[in-house]
Amino acid sequence: MTVASALSRRDLVRAAAQRSLTRRRITGRLAQALCAVAAVASVAPLVALLYYTISRGAQVLSWSFLVNAPTPPGIPGGGISTAITGSAEIVGLALVIAIPIALLAALFLFERSGRLAAALRFSADVLAGVPSIIIGIFAYALLVLPLHAFSNLAAAFALAVLMLPIMIRADEEAMRTIALDLWEAGIALGARRGRVARSVVLRGALPDLVTGNLLAIARAVGETAPLLFTLATPVAAMTLLIYTDGTQAFPIAQETAWGTALVLLAFVLLLSVAAKIAAWRISRRAR
Amino acid sequence: MITLSGTRGRKNTLVGLSALALVSVIAACGSASGGGSTPAASATASPCASNTVLSATCDTKTQAAVTLTGAGANSIEPFFETVFYGYNQKNSQTTVNYSPAGSSVGVSDIQQGTVNFGDSEIPMTSSQLAAATGGTVLQIPVDLGGVAISYNVPGAPANLKLDGSTLAGIFDGSITNWDSPLIAAVSGVSNLPNLAIKAVHRADASGPGYDLDQYLIDTAPAWVTAIGTSTPSRTWPLATVGIGEQLNTGVATYVSQTSGSVGFVEYGYALQNGFVNAAILDAAGAYVAPTEASIALAGAQATSLSSTNFNVVNETGAGVYPLANFSWTLVYQKQSETTTAIALGKLLDWVVTTGQQDAAALGYAPLPANVASLAQKTILEIEGSTGTPLFSS
Amino acid sequence: MSSDTTGVLPREGVAVSGVRAALLQKRTRLGEHAYTVVRWGGAAVFAAVVVALLISVAGSSSQALTRSGVGFLWSGTWNPAAGEYGAGILVVGTLLTTAVAMVIVVPIGLGTAAFLSELAPGWLAGPLSTLIGLLAAVPSIVVGLWGLIVLTPIFANQVEPFLASMPLLGWLFRGEAYGPSVLLASVVLAVMTLPTMVALSRTALAAVPVADREAALALGATRWQAVRKAVIPAARSGIQAAVTLAVGRAMGESIAVAMVIGNRPALPTSLTAPGATLGSAIVNQFAEASPGLGTSSVIALGAVLLLLTVAVNAGGQALLRSGGGHRAGTAGALR
Repeated sequence: MTVASALSRRDLVRAAAQRSLTRRRITGRLAQALCAVAAVASVAPLVALLYYTISRGAQVLSWSFLVNAPTPPGIPGGGISTAITGSAEIVGLALVIAIPIALLAALFLFERSGRLAAALRFSADVLAGVPSIIIGIFAYALLVLPLHAFSNLAAAFALAVLMLPIMIRADEEAMRTIALDLWEAGIALGARRGRVARSVVLRGALPDLVTGNLLAIARAVGETAPLLFTLATPVAAMTLLIYTDGTQAFPIAQETAWGTALVLLAFVLLLSVAAKIAAWRISRRAR
Repeated sequence: MITLSGTRGRKNTLVGLSALALVSVIAACGSASGGGSTPAASATASPCASNTVLSATCDTKTQAAVTLTGAGANSIEPFFETVFYGYNQKNSQTTVNYSPAGSSVGVSDIQQGTVNFGDSEIPMTSSQLAAATGGTVLQIPVDLGGVAISYNVPGAPANLKLDGSTLAGIFDGSITNWDSPLIAAVSGVSNLPNLAIKAVHRADASGPGYDLDQYLIDTAPAWVTAIGTSTPSRTWPLATVGIGEQLNTGVATYVSQTSGSVGFVEYGYALQNGFVNAAILDAAGAYVAPTEASIALAGAQATSLSSTNFNVVNETGAGVYPLANFSWTLVYQKQSETTTAIALGKLLDWVVTTGQQDAAALGYAPLPANVASLAQKTILEIEGSTGTPLFSS
Repeated sequence: MSSDTTGVLPREGVAVSGVRAALLQKRTRLGEHAYTVVRWGGAAVFAAVVVALLISVAGSSSQALTRSGVGFLWSGTWNPAAGEYGAGILVVGTLLTTAVAMVIVVPIGLGTAAFLSELAPGWLAGPLSTLIGLLAAVPSIVVGLWGLIVLTPIFANQVEPFLASMPLLGWLFRGEAYGPSVLLASVVLAVMTLPTMVALSRTALAAVPVADREAALALGATRWQAVRKAVIPAARSGIQAAVTLAVGRAMGESIAVAMVIGNRPALPTSLTAPGATLGSAIVNQFAEASPGLGTSSVIALGAVLLLLTVAVNAGGQALLRSGGGHRAGTAGALR
């Protein structure tokens, strides 16, 4: 090959590379712009919902709304205190039930492979698709009927069942993507399985575990149907109150419903932020 | 890590605990005094625990606290909420919880004995009664409501006259436009706009749907042909025509925002939202609009009302609104616990007498006198654990 | 392993110190067994719950299923008033709304996740993803009411006529624009499942090691190419989990769908026609169904939905297995 032809060949390659780079840059920029648009599209419904909820619920929002007990429509001075405390209690109970089971089941799926694990994973995916009303009926048959009484425990159980599949899958994915190699290393070096699970997997995957669990918790907090069959009265939980008041004819009842929806969202936001801060601090402290 | 070492930590804990205790005590005092501040009944009233005269007041201060639970129809929830609240103001020892999970849940709850009382828009059938585990179920009419046919047609007058065959045509899709001559002929309004009819029905099973279905079966042979049966159903029989919306709210929202729409809602809902309602042809040949008075008249026609003869749709009489129905509370005749039974009986007596004063404001009609006395007679059949009637009138 | 490089993610450093701590503990048989027992216990409890649910659903729906037989699954008429309980149309409606919802959610969700994980500045990504996660907390009744009050008029008056007027795709959207329709229900489902898709995809994308991205960039890829060719494929299993959960939620949603789908138990002739799904039928019927056959039929719908979810999940997994298989993060990228 002559020098000239080599040089021209080099120029050709360079030009081709330059064209390719320009093309790739343009498509890249376009794709990035589309992603930004997608992000806007994701936030837009929340903004629209928030705007609408605030515009309808803000009128009732006040300190007395939060601390007073409910009164029927037409009787002033009512609030949603029983619903707030009820929801907090039910969700708290549900978390106590669900989080440990979900973590253990996720560890099971993470550490083991084979048909049993595959079957468990599959059943988690299927359970995730069961309508919440069916889960409510299930909790009714299991805990309300035999005891002949509605209870917060039955409601918490229903919510826990709702959260479990989401938590298990999200937990397992978090463990798998963060800590697989490190887990293998720990076990290979002879450390106890439980210790590895605790110190390596859970600690390491904690922020992502929190994200996945928060998603499940947010979903459960917003469910109505399971509560309908397990609680004695609408004022026992916020979502039930939203459902009952929101479908009544009285403007004051409907505004109460939207105000309650706002309180619910604030509740979840606080929970999310608190959990994320806690996870971040625990991860940091471990270094 | 937080360590509670030393006296400082212990002192903080003590302060915290006593503050918490103080707050709880104050809260408990507050909630206890909330109900009992009303002047008590006369000093000669007998203790509630043994007062079995149905309508007599008793000395509430001596009554043990009782919590009654009920479950059933969603539609009666506002009424129950108001009446139970009022009762609790007068009688703080009785707390009532009601779960509006639906008539079906109410029926199965009472069948299983999970609640003290159930509520259903339609009385229990004989097979449902047979499945009740606690024996005979008493069914007590507790409120009277009506169904409004609300429409949103710009330029149409209020209380548009409609009869069974026109309504059937609207809901089975044979009449598709408001300017149809069939509507003009019945309503007498010939200048309705050229607007497509958007009929909206209840997607969920409902009392109002049952009433309208019953009315159309009674008055429109074309409807019976279209649905293929002459038994009314709580589930709307022609769901393939028009739009189905959930609960009264769904129908009401759709009607209020959609031009050309027409749907059926609880009268109370139409009243609260200022809807325009149709005047329906009644059995006497007049077009009657829904009002508290016309609904009350419909209820009053039920001279031989019972749980097997509960239909008050399309009654004969002057000024009677043809779309009305009672709501039925279900309790076991045999009650095992006396204190609960007494509280339950007195509560129900309150609901069908004094409590009816709340009905009108909420969009119901107060129980007619004959129905109220039927209700009280049924309450008197409640038996204690010994198997003998518990109350005397 | 990159635990000794400067580009390490904080959590890897945490895990290393954890490994150190783990090694300092003696490995005792008792401790080992205790953990295994507890772990088995957790999995067993979950399995027990699933089995109990299946038994409960099967038992309650037996009355309806023995009456109608297997034909219940695909029988085309759902008319409880006439005593006809066939789930076929509802199955079609469920699949249709879920499919359309996923067509909307997967690209937008993945794009958003890519934006949050790769392209957005740090101060924006965290709060933004918390906010999107908040959408998951909105109760279904609130989303349903909002869809009914706010979206329905917009769809009836603007969106649906516009879509019907489009040159080629307009055929999909033909017909009278009522407002409540399969399309509107799919959009509402998309809104409800978006947070799941975004959050879990983002986790998956963020978990891909920095080394993978650096390798791609070193080979001359643009930023977007690195994301598309190196990061997303490595995050495949996490994204798959996200889609699975989103599909599950979409198929099972009941109250919100019932408020915006128009509840017409007939095969939809276009996307703007009203329809019905298994979930909407369940929530519509249950409260007032006559105890006995009525309630049993409603729960039988739940059984059908369970079977449908099994079928969809199995189908999805088969599809993925034929396309490359389940691989985890780093290990997968190195193969």
